[in-house]
Amino acid sequence: MSDAALLLELRNVAKHFGGLYALSGLDMQVNEGEIVSVIGPNGAGKSTMFNVVTGLYEPDDGDVLFKGQSVVGLAPNQITRLGIARTFQTVHLFPNMTVLENAMVGQHCRTRSGVFGAVLRPPGTRREEERIRGRAKEALEFFGRRLAGYRQDQPAFTLSYANRRRLEMARAMATEPILICLDEPTAGMNPRETLELRDHIKRMRDERGLTVLVIEHDMRVVKGVSDRVIALDYGRKIAEGSYGEVANDPQVIEAYLGTKAAG
Amino acid sequence: MGPVGLRSAIAAGLVGAFASLYLALVGLTERFGDLELIGEQVTLGRVLLVVPPLVAGYVVTRPRVVAGERRIPTRVEAAFAGASTGAIAGAVFGAAVAFAEWFDVNRIREVFITVSPGLIEFVTFERGVAAGFVILVVIGVLGGAVGGALRASSPLVRTPIVLGASVAILLGLLQRIIPVAMRQLDLEPSVLYEVSGGLTIPAGVGVIAVTAGANVLWTRSGPRVRDRIRTSAREQPVARTAVLIVVLAVAAILPLLVGSVISEVLGTVMVFMLLGLGLNIVVGYAGLLDLGYVAFFAFGAYALALVTGATLNTTTGAAEPAFALGLNFYIGVWVVAALAAGVGLLIGAPVLRLRGDYLAIVTLGLGEIVSILTQSRWLQPFVGGLQGMRGITDGAIGGLSFRPPQNFYYLALAFVVLAVFVSWRLSASRIGRAWNAMREDEQVADAMGISTTKYKLLAFAMGGAIGSIGGALFAVKIGSLTPASFQILVSITALAVVILGGLGSIPGVVVGALVLIGLPGLLREFEEYRLLIYGGVLVAIMVLRPQGLVPNVRRTRELHEEEVEQDAWAKGVAEHEEAYATVVVGDTVVEEKRPE
Repeated sequence: MSDAALLLELRNVAKHFGGLYALSGLDMQVNEGEIVSVIGPNGAGKSTMFNVVTGLYEPDDGDVLFKGQSVVGLAPNQITRLGIARTFQTVHLFPNMTVLENAMVGQHCRTRSGVFGAVLRPPGTRREEERIRGRAKEALEFFGRRLAGYRQDQPAFTLSYANRRRLEMARAMATEPILICLDEPTAGMNPRETLELRDHIKRMRDERGLTVLVIEHDMRVVKGVSDRVIALDYGRKIAEGSYGEVANDPQVIEAYLGTKAAG
Repeated sequence: MGPVGLRSAIAAGLVGAFASLYLALVGLTERFGDLELIGEQVTLGRVLLVVPPLVAGYVVTRPRVVAGERRIPTRVEAAFAGASTGAIAGAVFGAAVAFAEWFDVNRIREVFITVSPGLIEFVTFERGVAAGFVILVVIGVLGGAVGGALRASSPLVRTPIVLGASVAILLGLLQRIIPVAMRQLDLEPSVLYEVSGGLTIPAGVGVIAVTAGANVLWTRSGPRVRDRIRTSAREQPVARTAVLIVVLAVAAILPLLVGSVISEVLGTVMVFMLLGLGLNIVVGYAGLLDLGYVAFFAFGAYALALVTGATLNTTTGAAEPAFALGLNFYIGVWVVAALAAGVGLLIGAPVLRLRGDYLAIVTLGLGEIVSILTQSRWLQPFVGGLQGMRGITDGAIGGLSFRPPQNFYYLALAFVVLAVFVSWRLSASRIGRAWNAMREDEQVADAMGISTTKYKLLAFAMGGAIGSIGGALFAVKIGSLTPASFQILVSITALAVVILGGLGSIPGVVVGALVLIGLPGLLREFEEYRLLIYGGVLVAIMVLRPQGLVPNVRRTRELHEEEVEQDAWAKGVAEHEEAYATVVVGDTVVEEKRPE
């Protein structure tokens, strides 16, 4: 962990909504090639952290560095172009576009043809369109048969819940990111799908070389995939380390189960 | 009363009666009382007396849920329920007529200026109020019964009848246009039409029979034909090109067939097609509700006048505008389009952060600003203020002027074809996908790497450029400009064309413009009632077919095609699952090949 390159760094990040401090003085790092899980009770600030990293929110204080460069103040689409992709806690697809088109949208930031290319279709644009299609299919095929075949030409709203989550991940992967941020990817999945997804998260790193930052509630998944676990509560980091260390940390147990003295 | 409650019958009957009353009070019924549609007896005024109870009878017999079950009335029940509803409609309307007679028509006339003693004579069939009341009730009963029976019939019966009747009425309405066109083609109009009237009775019966028969044939063999067309279109691009060429060929010879009156209307239709195509990019593709589209229309028209040179109208005679370039039309129009794209950026920039309703209100204001600017004293030296300008180029090539309707049609057709091509290519590109994503979820599109700023501005620029070409052609068409042509109604009409045709659908814009601009243009008799009919048609279509007349195909894929592929896919999965067993070992999932 120590010799790996630092990829993402949050320095003293704070974000508040009115009087509510969603994040206060959060420091954390993600190294290249790591799978880092973020856990914490509801309202701990996990999704806010994602929104700050991906540019949906601007932090009130502190800095977010990606590959040593500050991303604070950049638009979400600029951050995506730098190489951070994400999924959402509640699935947000483009429901009336086909499954393949959803994934093709992911390729947008890696391609460049403009109005003249679109209207005149010179060979360069055609090749680019082929490449977009190819890369999008490749991203969908990461999930095997789940998003293959006739499904690719169906509108996304026809997909099952688990497949919508998979498609969201495929769309994020189609942006060719360096870091992929997954917000509760197994929420609403059945046990079998959850286990399958755990393997997918590992394969994202092992086969695609992605660094993965994942918010997850299912402890089997957290245990199974994480190189490192970070626990948040009230917008602060309360514990960090291997799954075993964090899971047995008294502060973490207290955050999940409440204060012993109170009972 | 069987499946229909008394209360809903009364409610529907009253609505029907009020509809009849309304049509009578605004003057439609009497005004068109002797507009013969088919033979001498079927006049538009009489049709307007029958339609309200018929629709009331149709509506009241809709299937409803009774005790948790969906109950579809039988044909007899439905006819009875419809007849009762129609009787109520007829009786209430008849009572209103009796009241009007007693109250004195001239006093009503103070408010409803089109009401006259002639109206009462017409609706009572000149037989006095008492007999008229009976006649109106009978009409109501018959109309309602037919409406109810139609509703309860299968679509296989209903559609041909409704379609046949509608086409016959439409042809009857076009009695001033079609005979002229027939004469142009050396056909004898008296085959179909009375000398000065609607269809002859045999022709009317024939039209209904032919339309109904064609519909029956189409429902029987239509799917097969459609399948064949679709397969050949997919397997042989040549077939698709051939269809396109046929469509273009028909469009190319159309003005020669229909004569200059219809060509004039078609020219206006083309201008609105351009407006619709441009607005479709902004609203249909990018999802930005723009209510100020008239801004681009006005900009295109006036900018063309300025870059090609025109004269101002002033109270003291003609004057040179303060700015004039004197470019050729075919250069000027591109200059105008490029400038309009710039105006699109200017209009787009301040509204980038706004969405939905707010965007609509701000663009409405911006459109209003532009139409007020055209009247302003400030711009008077440039655009002539209220007096406007004249002497605008006719786009002549080698002495061939494009102002005569038949010639203008070809000029406009060329630009429409170009705009269709550009729209189509854009929608099927990376840019089209970006717009699509942005329309579906702006925030997510941003998070997926699409610069929403850039693509909103691009939509305004492209939409502005195409709309301004519409304006430029409009200027060529009429040769003179006054602010009266650039009011908010243009924005509303263009939006209606896009929505009526189907948002995001290019064929939809074409059909929408033909229906909304073409039909009223042909039916000049209805000029004073145009907005009323417009409103009615829009409401009806939005209720019956909210996705538009020709919805975007991508969103209404053929179910059939999907099922076949789905079956094939499911078969593959089943085979896979038969061959492999999924085993959960500890907490890993493995697939094991089953023993044969």
